[in-house]
Amino acid sequence: MAYTELIKNFNRIRDYMREFYVYGFKSRDGFTQKSARSYDDERRRLESWLGDYMQFRQTPAGKTVFLSVDSRLCRHNPLYKAWKTKSFTDGDITLHFILMDIVAQAKEALSVREIMEQTDAYLSGFPDPRLTDESTLRKKLREYVTEGILTTEKHGKSLYYKRTPDTACYDTDVLDFFSEVSCCGVIGSFLLDKADFINGPHRDHFTFKHHYITGAMDSEIVCQLLLAMQEKRGVTLITTGKNRDHISESRVVPLRIMISVQNGRQYLMAFTPGSNRIRSFRTDHILSVTPGEISGRFDELRETLNGMRPHMWGVSTQSRSGRRTEEVTFTVRYEEDEPYIHQRLEREKRCGTVERVDGCTSRFSASVYDASELIPWIRTFLCRITEIHFSNAALEAQFKEDIREMYRLYGLEGGESI
Amino acid sequence: MIFSELYGAYYNAVAEILKHAVDHPLEKNELRRIVEKHAFGESILNVEPSLTGEKWQLLRPDGTTPLQSPPSLPLTLIQKRWLASLASDPRIRLFVENPLDFGDVSPLFTPEDLCVFDRYADGDDYADPAYRRNFRLILNAIRNQYPLRIATVNRRGNIARMDVLPKYLEYSEKDDKFRLFCLGHHFRGTVNLGRITCCTRCTRNYRKSFSQGMPPEPGSVTFELTDERNALERVLLHFAHFEKQAEQTGERRFRVTIRYAKEDETELVIRILSFGPMIRVTAPSYFVNLIRERLIRQKNCGL
Repeated sequence: MAYTELIKNFNRIRDYMREFYVYGFKSRDGFTQKSARSYDDERRRLESWLGDYMQFRQTPAGKTVFLSVDSRLCRHNPLYKAWKTKSFTDGDITLHFILMDIVAQAKEALSVREIMEQTDAYLSGFPDPRLTDESTLRKKLREYVTEGILTTEKHGKSLYYKRTPDTACYDTDVLDFFSEVSCCGVIGSFLLDKADFINGPHRDHFTFKHHYITGAMDSEIVCQLLLAMQEKRGVTLITTGKNRDHISESRVVPLRIMISVQNGRQYLMAFTPGSNRIRSFRTDHILSVTPGEISGRFDELRETLNGMRPHMWGVSTQSRSGRRTEEVTFTVRYEEDEPYIHQRLEREKRCGTVERVDGCTSRFSASVYDASELIPWIRTFLCRITEIHFSNAALEAQFKEDIREMYRLYGLEGGESI
Repeated sequence: MIFSELYGAYYNAVAEILKHAVDHPLEKNELRRIVEKHAFGESILNVEPSLTGEKWQLLRPDGTTPLQSPPSLPLTLIQKRWLASLASDPRIRLFVENPLDFGDVSPLFTPEDLCVFDRYADGDDYADPAYRRNFRLILNAIRNQYPLRIATVNRRGNIARMDVLPKYLEYSEKDDKFRLFCLGHHFRGTVNLGRITCCTRCTRNYRKSFSQGMPPEPGSVTFELTDERNALERVLLHFAHFEKQAEQTGERRFRVTIRYAKEDETELVIRILSFGPMIRVTAPSYFVNLIRERLIRQKNCGL
């Protein structure tokens, strides 16, 4: 098929965007799962959409292409552009603008016949006017009613269509801010496009630090999960493995979207009847969401999840040791002029307790489903950890061995204190 | 659904073209300028011939359009549902006293549907009326570029007063805090909104006397990464918000360079430490020493 700038299916480009943005070290030959032609097309598309952010580097393995974005400097998530690339037919775009013009002029709701006649009148000025068939028009009208831009009235047995009245919207400051920090923020980006169309380009007044933009690629998946949760509906998920090497199907009851602002990952917490437990699914591993039946247990299951939260550091609901919960305790020592270390423990802990042992010593302890989830955080206190204990002995041994390995990496091997 | 041509760059560009064509016959140059501005790098190759070749029968050969009025589209249902969701976000009241009411449109999500699980607990107090008042005044001053007199309280509890020209607000999702970037008489810097105790409009207009200052000093760090325990993905996702370069140097070995603002160096040191032995900093040498120094101190703690 000839190359086109627009696309029909988002999933394929989603994979390439992730490769170019998150990883960015593979050459053309490294994309073994897809054909070289497919790679060339997707790379060309991304270059067209995101040219300002595309970079190239020549390596011994070949030319590598990557997306380099400092999200603190760009005020709008550039990956949202990918959501503005849906392909359409010549008939779609012609009918769209004419149809919306017809309903904008109409003082009353119009029948399908009236809309058809007017459409033909609009097109009659062209030398070779496009023919509109009734079934295409009816399909488009139904689609726009579902989208909410047209409403219907029943006159006898016939449906009449009119434009949905305009609604107030927030100003561009609100849209600028929430399009970056709110779930499904790409919808805010669509609203900004609309505001700029009406009022002309606006000036933005916000920047964002620690801003992860990768979640944008999962917007449609997250949106479908939110819609299902609003209706307390089960869903069927098609998911892929970590290495994109296998595909699974799971019927679940979606309960909550868990968002990390420290690594940008988003997870679905869902009840899986097959294993009779609540577990997490990474949204970037979900390929599709199909709505299922309404679940009578939704409220009860969400309450169960709420009850689990005090033992969840991240999203894990099961320990590696097989125990229901694991205990972790560590003690840090700091100088008198470093009271912020205790404050750090207080503000960064997500569960558990912090106690002040003396003016220069504080202790954190928690009982969690999976103590391994705390390890990266505990390591941020390296240089002041005086004691540490995990009820999972293997984890404790691993933690200590990792520290010894770090000593070796930086030429500090040997057991003696320095 | 989100992935729809209704929100697409082509529809937006064509709407802009038709808006102009309703007003006056459109020249080709004008059409090209609009496409370049509203669509993508290669869009002109498709949009222009489709319109002028009448595949899309919206523009006549003389540059006029059969449309009677500029294109307009009401909000779609998903847009209304998303906007309705903002009402339950405490930050919306920084901008408006009363969130918009979308009648019987149910929100796309409620606070119960989402959980940010690793946000720091000492974020700004958005319910504080004084904070909201300051936020609105600062945002207005940024929009209209007038100076402010602000008083802040520092870590030791001392009050400092200064006149500043506000430029923009920065929000950190991790810290859940806003910072004001501003120009002062002798500096260019940031002020945490949570530390502002008083904020008023300057009565004197001395906009021109504010220092442009120096831009923030950039830094960069390079480390080697060993892809064990899924470290490659974890590290690259974690540092994804920085400008970075990654290259493969061996079967499971990678070299990553990250560019960061120098003011965030301490934070970057502890974030690198959080990955343990999976990453080893190799350059610059003073950064290597920052890590070594912490490990030496850790060794002295007896672990």
